Amino acid sequence: MATIEVNQLACSRRDNILFEGVSFKVTDRELLQIDGINGSGKSTMLRIIAGLTEPNEGQVLWDEQPILECRYQYQQLMTYLGHTNGVKEALSVAENLDVIHALSGHEQPLDHDAVLKQIGLPGMHDVKLGKMSAGQKRRMGLSRLLINQSPLWLLDEPFTSLDVDGKSIIEGLIVQHCQQGGIVIFATHQEMDIEGHTVRHIHLGKANG
Amino acid sequence: MANGSNTFITIVRRDLLIAFRNRYELVNPLMFFIMVIVLFPLAIGSDKAMLQPLTAAMIWVTALLASTLSLETIFRSDFEDGSIEQFTLANYPLVALVMAKILAHWLITGLPLIIVALLVGVFLSLSNAALICLLLTLVLGTPILSLIGAIGVALTIGLRGGMLLSLLILPLYMPVLIFAMLAMNNASDGLSIAAELYFLGGILVLALTLAPIATAAALRIRLS
Repeated sequence: MATIEVNQLACSRRDNILFEGVSFKVTDRELLQIDGINGSGKSTMLRIIAGLTEPNEGQVLWDEQPILECRYQYQQLMTYLGHTNGVKEALSVAENLDVIHALSGHEQPLDHDAVLKQIGLPGMHDVKLGKMSAGQKRRMGLSRLLINQSPLWLLDEPFTSLDVDGKSIIEGLIVQHCQQGGIVIFATHQEMDIEGHTVRHIHLGKANG
Repeated sequence: MANGSNTFITIVRRDLLIAFRNRYELVNPLMFFIMVIVLFPLAIGSDKAMLQPLTAAMIWVTALLASTLSLETIFRSDFEDGSIEQFTLANYPLVALVMAKILAHWLITGLPLIIVALLVGVFLSLSNAALICLLLTLVLGTPILSLIGAIGVALTIGLRGGMLLSLLILPLYMPVLIFAMLAMNNASDGLSIAAELYFLGGILVLALTLAPIATAAALRIRLS
């Protein structure tokens, strides 16, 4: 059973303590939402769990191993999506998917049609991303989840710029992923419509840490 | 990983495609190079005896400045749109991805510069020996500029203040310029240029082995 554990995590920015003494443990099939007002450190928390930022104190453990000590194995099991989509506007949809696929390290060839159908952009292979809307670019960013197929998903505001349809696609993917034994940790301000799965909450804030 | 070389090629191809679709970024440093080279004979006068000893220095100094102009493009857009973030989290060594990006950057900026510099050398009536020496020093020297420049860009990316990058890397460019100019002077005097080429080759091997590691580490620091 896979577990991700956060142990006595503390992080500060310029003398301002974002959070300290945060501990929690998430195992597979669990869906965790990180709550908190703007500037409470939700994004920083996700970046720390992804191994992008080092915490001032404490550590993150994957299967009881600190992630910074097994970075390479951990990265094979984790997909992080931040505020940015990590896709290139000068490239077409298919070219962007190829780059994402190359970075995922998977050997089997990529089925463009299947991925595009799932994220709701069917038949748009040759469209340049520079000509697409913010929501469509967000969908392209989220295609990483389908291509990487990693058990742990870390999503920072995944629903930004998505329309109702796009939001329900992603909600469906999240529920499906948890039901199939994956772990999802995400931060969002929007109302979630998750059916068929319980959502755990962690609240970040200066008062109660 | 069986598709390891594929990933490398995909990233090089990606950067080349992006460069060809944003052609002005590609052409700007070359235009700068050509304009400066054209202005020199106008300022100094077209007297061949005056111009010829300066030609090699002119070409090399201008090439060096032109390549610093295009350096930032190596990581800037990738940093802004989050691609670098995904590179560091990829299921592929970051050092290899950085190497692919540096190679693509050299193909986009270094290679055209070598070709244009040779043409300029012909127009400014460099001797055959000097032209061959110019070609050799540029082939060994421009990859060093890209490799060292990548470290500087990775360290300063996202920071305001454009002078910082030049201040960081220009001192590191000096050995390349010095050895290249020594070789050019020897070539025009009809002497052997082997020693200088060995030095440039040595610096290239050193940069090739260490610069991608330093660049990858710098990128991780900038992201955290």
